[in-house]
Amino acid sequence: MQSAALKGRSLWDDARRRLLHNKAAVASMAVLAVLVLLAVFGPALVPYRFDAINKNDVWAEPLQAGHLLGADSLGRDLLARLLMGLRVSLAVGVVATFVSLVIGVLWGSVAGYLGGRVDEVMMRIVDVLYSLPFIFFVILLMVTFGRNFILMFVAIGAVEWLTMARIVRGQTLSLKQREFIEAARAAGLQPRAILLRHIVPNLLGPVVVYVTLTIPGVILAESFLSFLGLGVQEPMTSLGSLISKGAQDMELAPWLLVFPSLVMVVTLMAFNFIGDGLRDAIDPKDR
Amino acid sequence: MRKALLTAVAFGVLGLAGCDEGGGRAPCPAGKLCFEYGNSVDPQSIDPPLSSLVQEDHILGDLFTGLTQYDAKSIPVAGLATRWETSPDGLTWTFHLRHSKWSDGKDLTAEDFVYTARRAMDPKTASEYANLLYVLKNGEAVNNGKAPLTALGVEAPDPYTVRFQLAHPAPYFLYITTHQILYPTPEHVVEKWGNRWTEPQHWVSNGPYKMTYFKLGDRLQAVKNPYFYDAASVCIDQINYYPTTDSISAERRVKRGELDFNDDIQSNRIAFLRRPNQMPAHVRTNTWLGTTYLAFNGKRVPALRDVRVRQALAMAIDRDFITQKLMRGGQADAWTMVPPGTANYPGGAAPHWATWPLARRQAEARRLLAAAGYGPGHPLKFAITMRNSNDPLLIYPAIQADLKDVGVQATLEPEEGQIAYADYRARNFEVADAAWIADYNDPMTFLTLLRSTTGQQNYSDYANPAYDALLGKADRETDIAKRGEYLRQAEHIAMEDATVAPIYHYVSKNLVSPRLTGWVPNIADWHRTRYVCMAGHKAPADINPP
Amino acid sequence: MLRFLFRRLLIAIPTLFVVVTLAFFMMRAAPGSPFVNERRLSPEVERNVMAKYGMDRPLPVQYASYVGGVLRGDFGPSLKYKDKTVLRIISDGFPHSLLIGALAMSLGALVGVSLGVIAALRQNRPADYAAMGVAVLGVCIPTFVTAPLLVLVFAAWLGVLPTAGWPAATQPWTTAWRYLVLPVVVLSLPQIAIISRLTRAGMIEVMRSNYVRTARAKGLPERSVVLRHALRGAILPLVSYLGPATAGVITGSLVVEQIFQLPGIGRAFVISALQRDYTVVMGVVILYAGLILLLNLAADVLYAMLDPRVRLS
Repeated sequence: MQSAALKGRSLWDDARRRLLHNKAAVASMAVLAVLVLLAVFGPALVPYRFDAINKNDVWAEPLQAGHLLGADSLGRDLLARLLMGLRVSLAVGVVATFVSLVIGVLWGSVAGYLGGRVDEVMMRIVDVLYSLPFIFFVILLMVTFGRNFILMFVAIGAVEWLTMARIVRGQTLSLKQREFIEAARAAGLQPRAILLRHIVPNLLGPVVVYVTLTIPGVILAESFLSFLGLGVQEPMTSLGSLISKGAQDMELAPWLLVFPSLVMVVTLMAFNFIGDGLRDAIDPKDR
Repeated sequence: MRKALLTAVAFGVLGLAGCDEGGGRAPCPAGKLCFEYGNSVDPQSIDPPLSSLVQEDHILGDLFTGLTQYDAKSIPVAGLATRWETSPDGLTWTFHLRHSKWSDGKDLTAEDFVYTARRAMDPKTASEYANLLYVLKNGEAVNNGKAPLTALGVEAPDPYTVRFQLAHPAPYFLYITTHQILYPTPEHVVEKWGNRWTEPQHWVSNGPYKMTYFKLGDRLQAVKNPYFYDAASVCIDQINYYPTTDSISAERRVKRGELDFNDDIQSNRIAFLRRPNQMPAHVRTNTWLGTTYLAFNGKRVPALRDVRVRQALAMAIDRDFITQKLMRGGQADAWTMVPPGTANYPGGAAPHWATWPLARRQAEARRLLAAAGYGPGHPLKFAITMRNSNDPLLIYPAIQADLKDVGVQATLEPEEGQIAYADYRARNFEVADAAWIADYNDPMTFLTLLRSTTGQQNYSDYANPAYDALLGKADRETDIAKRGEYLRQAEHIAMEDATVAPIYHYVSKNLVSPRLTGWVPNIADWHRTRYVCMAGHKAPADINPP
Repeated sequence: MLRFLFRRLLIAIPTLFVVVTLAFFMMRAAPGSPFVNERRLSPEVERNVMAKYGMDRPLPVQYASYVGGVLRGDFGPSLKYKDKTVLRIISDGFPHSLLIGALAMSLGALVGVSLGVIAALRQNRPADYAAMGVAVLGVCIPTFVTAPLLVLVFAAWLGVLPTAGWPAATQPWTTAWRYLVLPVVVLSLPQIAIISRLTRAGMIEVMRSNYVRTARAKGLPERSVVLRHALRGAILPLVSYLGPATAGVITGSLVVEQIFQLPGIGRAFVISALQRDYTVVMGVVILYAGLILLLNLAADVLYAMLDPRVRLS
């Protein structure tokens, strides 16, 4: 067991080296760092508040009247709103994904590894919850608990973990039959140790890929909710909310769509490239 | 590389196949005139007593003709009834019908109207508009199940005469006979097929058109009814009503000729569409009988029981900014509940501050708030509950900013429509974003909201005996001018009391293809297809046929 | 295998039952009522309306009555669309959603798998970045942006496709197909993105695995190695995804149906949930749940067929 632990550490070293060689991933990490800084400190640095109405600046074009990116239908500065929206979207994406990750991986790996009745019951629960359409769940949660910000994370996270659990269970089923697991079992390791030290690390590949699909998915889900009028409520804003309003008035004020879309696309692409880099770096069979 | 090739081929195929303008307009039978009508939503019901939406009335008004109908100026004129009399006490109205047939060839008689009225008031039908007919004798009792259907104040002394007995005089009764709740429904079909009578294969109606196809999300199709009493003058042969829920998509369809008409335009796109290179000739706006307003819940926020506070709030709103910079659809600032131009009404009920400029109103608002005990050290705070649809989301942040200017801290609580309405009825709000669209073209439909006996619909729970007394007098007055004066006095009292703060009056906004002739703007926004025609075809008939 | 199928179908029934019960009580627990709208109803009128739909009875009684009805095939009348029954609404709308969804899923799978394979085989080369770049864009731009953009380009500016609507029954197929192009493309873009990424990831893993190395060592042509051996293993994670994803897509997308004015059930479902049209919502939930159960079963069977190491317990 000593040598197994040593081997594990050097694997991570290898992974980190591989990641840093991936140019796209490194660039994306830099971009993401900038975006996070903008999201955290940006709103305080801009001269306008994101919810301040300027009656004379309705539909102002970019670079007019002191608005770098223009203003919206109520004369509110787009740059300020964009930074605030970025902050909200990032928060929603990260928190909801983390929630879904933890629940999904634990649930799926336990179900897949233990198999038998436990697996059946656990997956039956997943099936039942999965059979309720996402929108149904979310509408009910939003509507029952009001416009609570936190609950939006919970609602979205509560739905995303289901797919994660299924995928993890599938992979666990495959992994379970492999020789190194047999070896670990033969060596007398407890199921919990096998799970945490052997199965979970080997799940990382597809799970990481799915996580990098989940964060954009969560941000998009929130934007879809905004489209329906259920997402973040005015005057608070998010990338999705800015985009869905901007899409309506595409021909009138294209800047209201272009800038938020650019920011959202860049953000999501950054997550994607980082995820790819992580997957390529961690997978021990990859060269 | 391969992908690029594929895309090029795809474009080529599309391009070649698209020689005929890419299609998009529904096929029309050869030699016929078809009207492609954008109607915003699917009708929830085309059974007249069960219908309640304006968009349903667009369809029903083409499928049915009632006793009376609106003319181009939104005044009731002859429909199925050629003439009528009122008794001197105003309690008996007698209508004389023309001889006409249903779309299946059967004769339409006065019995059908008696059946229709009884069915509308039957509690089992559960009509949402039943209270419109509470004006009939025993109407309320019948609808509550406390009296049999036969007790309703309607009878048919002979096959072509309908007689109504009213519970009290109602000079606006002709508007009720124009309303969809009294569109005649065919007894012989409804009794035979029950709920399924509205299916296309069973459908029978008496108007210029009859329904031939209806699928949710797709369209409702109506074709000319050859048995209509004035069929010869009906120009359009077929109508397709589409549920154009996305009004911007509908705009594009109208522009491309896929639709001839859409019954809505997103407010803040109107200025854009009026540009010379867009669709200026298509945009038609007109004042409409609807008002949005703020309701104040004095039970939740004691400050709102003080008339000075309410007046201050009503004064502080910059309506000009809202109508001219935000909405830009031609909406009018509202200082009264009843929109100017409503029939039977002299107007002039606005409160004394209506003519003041914004600066003066805001100064006065601050003074009033201070007098009531609110100022910078002790600001007035409350939450505004609002619907989270487009228009409120646009204007309420501006209202919030206006209130901030006079030292009031208002937070916005947008809610989904269903929840908002439920909250309003349960008085689960502090200040509410409310609106009312007239049921008929008369001030009473607005003013009755503020009666102390109205109950749930009186969101501010206004209870002023002087107001109620004036409305009661108006109810019993048969002279239109005198009645209008009572109503004006009543409204003036309510507006000075600032029981509600009106914000703007609705505007009807339609996109109408210039090819359509006979389409006339009016305050009730009634545009029956039988009067409409296309350029280059035979002209529509006179409105009052012999 | 047969025993497995039989057992799964047997379990599906109580699952469905639990779903129906859960959905029923959750919907009723939410605030709001179907009979409340801007047109405020007087109390007497409202009482009549509630009585008509049996909603003045205690909730457990309504539940029992509903379940009884469902077992007889009666899903009740719609509370909002008063002339229609739930069965009629769903049977009218589902075929349209199914058609668009199936086409979109097929296109998504075809293009997605191809892109994924190409990207995996040319890993870390320009083709990989290009393919993944396109895929990422597909998943990053919401459908309510791509739809109006495509409409603007193809319908408004180029004029080669109709703006919206479903073709009338009288329209010949030669022109009717045009109405389906934009909705199918818009709906397929996110699927292409996700499927290509899953395929690529799976493909990369599999290409390094022992049995593929063996196949290559045996001297098999690369094409055969890829298509016959690697692909089978590569699409395993994809299969897990496709089950529920297909169910979601064929029950209609609100955005696509709204923007393109398609008479499917996607839009009907969301609107009914927002309007509290309980019976329609329940009907769609039952349909969706049934589809999910079916498609998950199919995915599990497919997974077992593709991965001989997995035994169906």
